Amino acid sequence: MSAIAPSAEPAGNGATTMSPTATEARTGEALLELSGITKQYGPNTVLDDVSFTIHQGEVVGLLGDNGAGKSTLVKTMSGVVLADEGEYLWRGEKLGTINRQETEKRGVETIFQDSALVPSMTITRNIFMGREITNPIGLMKIKKMNEIAAQILDSVVTIEGIKSPNQLVGSLSGGQQQAVAIARAVHFKRSLLILDEPTSALAVRATEALLNYLLQLKKEGVSSVLVTHNLHHAFQVCDRHIVMNHGRKILDVRREDTSVEELTAAVVEGPEGLRRHREGKPLA
Amino acid sequence: MSERSGQVTAESTAAEAAIVAVEGDPAVDGTAVHKRNLADSAPTSTTGRLTERLRQMRGRGAMEIGVIFVLLQIGCIVYYLVDPQGFPYLEKANFNVLSQSIPVLAILAIGAGILIIAGEFDLSLGANFTFCALVFTRWYSDGASPWTATGMALITGISIALLNGILTTKAKIPSFIVTLGMMLFWEGAALFYNGTTATLMVPSETMKAIFAGDLGFFRGQVIWLLVLGGLFWLMVHRHRLGNHIFAVGGNPAAARAISINPARVKIIAFCILGLCVAIAAILTAVRTGSVQPGSGRGLELRAIAAAVVGGVSLSGGRGSVLGMVLGAALILTVQDILLLGGAPGFYLDLFVGLIIVAAAFFNRMIEGKAE
Repeated sequence: MSAIAPSAEPAGNGATTMSPTATEARTGEALLELSGITKQYGPNTVLDDVSFTIHQGEVVGLLGDNGAGKSTLVKTMSGVVLADEGEYLWRGEKLGTINRQETEKRGVETIFQDSALVPSMTITRNIFMGREITNPIGLMKIKKMNEIAAQILDSVVTIEGIKSPNQLVGSLSGGQQQAVAIARAVHFKRSLLILDEPTSALAVRATEALLNYLLQLKKEGVSSVLVTHNLHHAFQVCDRHIVMNHGRKILDVRREDTSVEELTAAVVEGPEGLRRHREGKPLA
Repeated sequence: MSERSGQVTAESTAAEAAIVAVEGDPAVDGTAVHKRNLADSAPTSTTGRLTERLRQMRGRGAMEIGVIFVLLQIGCIVYYLVDPQGFPYLEKANFNVLSQSIPVLAILAIGAGILIIAGEFDLSLGANFTFCALVFTRWYSDGASPWTATGMALITGISIALLNGILTTKAKIPSFIVTLGMMLFWEGAALFYNGTTATLMVPSETMKAIFAGDLGFFRGQVIWLLVLGGLFWLMVHRHRLGNHIFAVGGNPAAARAISINPARVKIIAFCILGLCVAIAAILTAVRTGSVQPGSGRGLELRAIAAAVVGGVSLSGGRGSVLGMVLGAALILTVQDILLLGGAPGFYLDLFVGLIIVAAAFFNRMIEGKAE
């Protein structure tokens, strides 16, 4: 079973967009660089001077309790939310305008918590939504899309119960829907995959498959940001961990320099817990 | 993989799939029982493909209406064969009536239905219809060429709908209220432009042949419906744009996340409605030869009703062009049956009302099943 789904040949008017730079560039090069990101909603500062860099081929865990600012940060990275202050650099260059179209073009794909699919459409149409394989006048090659969708689902996600790529997404379970969303992101070989709580609706086996998948993507130079509550999942696959607390980055540490215990202390108790952990005291 | 494809059908059980998988790859261990082979599950037999098609039709809400429509036709034909005098259904006169009325409502239903799939409404459809018909007849009777008059009507229809679309998406006002206001505005504008009296026109023979040709058993409007229906079917169900329309109506957040611009798609859907309205207005004006302010009143609700009867979901994201056309045909056929049966006028609305509620009920049930 091949790890990566057989990808579509670019057809028609570039319906299948792939980022050639994703594989060309050297691993370790800075991909996305955020500096001094601040965002306010009314009187509430949800992001306060957050800076970090995501490198090529890196798996980064974004951790934090509810209300830590993870979701807003995810939306800022994907270009859905515009920060009030701060810089957004892509491969060292400042983007003129930051919006979803621009980040999409550069290969940023987000899999949101409330799965980014349309329930009233088939799996195939969801997978190719916005990137349909068409002939020059825009008519879709449905048969070809169905074939590729079936191959993707066979090779990318081992989720049982999907009978046909023509099934409506609304008839799938939460885990199956998530699997389809992941399959889609994976197939289109994005350069940065942001997964917002991807494992929350998945069964144990599917979770394992997904985490393995992130590691395989990494080998291909694809970076991913894993936003999760589950520290064990994060620790298993992430090269680096960023912990958010009340809109601030309180920890940014490589895996070899930290432990599940330290991360737990930071997530649960914030800077205070982190300090206590470093002084060798147990959790309060 | 290809040599296996013939063996596995859509209905193949997990056990069969496992056997095939083991045969295809000797290294596969026991876990292969759970491995699916979707790539091989595409239906290969004709019946398999047909089942798949019907399932898709069902998913779009067009199957039930299709079955009901066919049953109704069979019933009518049987009744006619039993009692041709009392129920002159398969007669030229009757088909002439039906083939004039169904295409107009069906074209309007396509416009309204596509917009509903995209998640918006246009209540100014009837007022737009009247205004287009007035623009068409007045330009024509003032001596403009048929092409100019047609062009003016098309521009009018699309512009009115485009304005609705811009107000709805850019100012972010719900389309229900924008178009309710615009309905009153364009009704008033029609009186301002034309006065209260009817505007008459005498269409030339060529014009009659193009827009309302007598084809013996049928009228030329049917050709318009078939051509437009086919084009819109291609656009909605086979074109990239159609996929985007379903996506925007079904889950705007998902569409945006994949960088489809919902505002752009909705504005296009409004323009499609405007185009459909203008064409329907021209067809009607040429047939009747006279247009009066207020003549399109209530059409918006009938068009929406036809779309809903045809399986279009009022919450957006679901529907089919075939369903919209069948919905219009069903409503008007039932009206026709009541007329042929000699039912008093007030029965018509009563029955049409019942059909609409029943159709909405069925749709609710299907949606419940799909989700």
